[in-house]
Amino acid sequence: MERRHFLKDCAVIGASGVACSTGLLTPGIAFATETDPFQATSVAAALEALGIVDAKISEEIKITAPKIAEDGASVPVVITSLLKGTTEILTIVEKNPKPLAARNKFGKRAISSISSRIKMGQTTDLIAVAKADDKYYMAKTNVKVTLGGCGG
Amino acid sequence: MDKPTMKMRVKEKEGAIWLRALIEHPMETGLRKDKKTDVTIPAHYISDVVVEADGETVFSADWSTSISKNPFLLIKFYGSKGDKVRLTWKDNMGNGDSMEKIVG
Repeated sequence: MERRHFLKDCAVIGASGVACSTGLLTPGIAFATETDPFQATSVAAALEALGIVDAKISEEIKITAPKIAEDGASVPVVITSLLKGTTEILTIVEKNPKPLAARNKFGKRAISSISSRIKMGQTTDLIAVAKADDKYYMAKTNVKVTLGGCGG
Repeated sequence: MDKPTMKMRVKEKEGAIWLRALIEHPMETGLRKDKKTDVTIPAHYISDVVVEADGETVFSADWSTSISKNPFLLIKFYGSKGDKVRLTWKDNMGNGDSMEKIVG
């Protein structure tokens, strides 16, 4: 209970409160100053850093990944966007320490599809965000990981 | 000459060029610890990849540590036989390499 009160008081005092910098609130502070999307520690923060707010779910983004990955250190993933004018595909692994895995940009001659291998620390959602005609669309799929690939 | 750090194949298939590349790289996350000394191994990963065809950028990517060790990449783009395709990569420690192939 004491801790709860402490947090409440901090919220009232605001960011200027010296007591707040004891470490309890650091995640919140980190959020506010995060600008590099690759350093973001949550999907929401990564998307915010990239300026993506309203990604619509789209059936036109196809993710091909194994339902069960035996080795999380190397999960083969193919992401294809059938949306016209796709210029970018983001690969995001939701529960990785740093979820944003790759930001792929396509030139005029490119076919908007990317195959690569990624690391997955645990069973989680794989999210693909495509940018087409300056709008964002997303798709996700779950991958079960039986052996994590983030070391430690 | 140094040992090449990557393998790359470019092939024309029904009007599109398929580029397959395998880059040799540890892709350290910066989270792993050396088992003997218990010292954290610093992050070491490829951060930039660029593919050019006849000098025009067809693909570029920013990668993070979530990409697997010895990364594999397959991309496709429109082109024809005889195009000069160049792949360049750079990592966060300033290393990098580049390879050029002619589509056959």
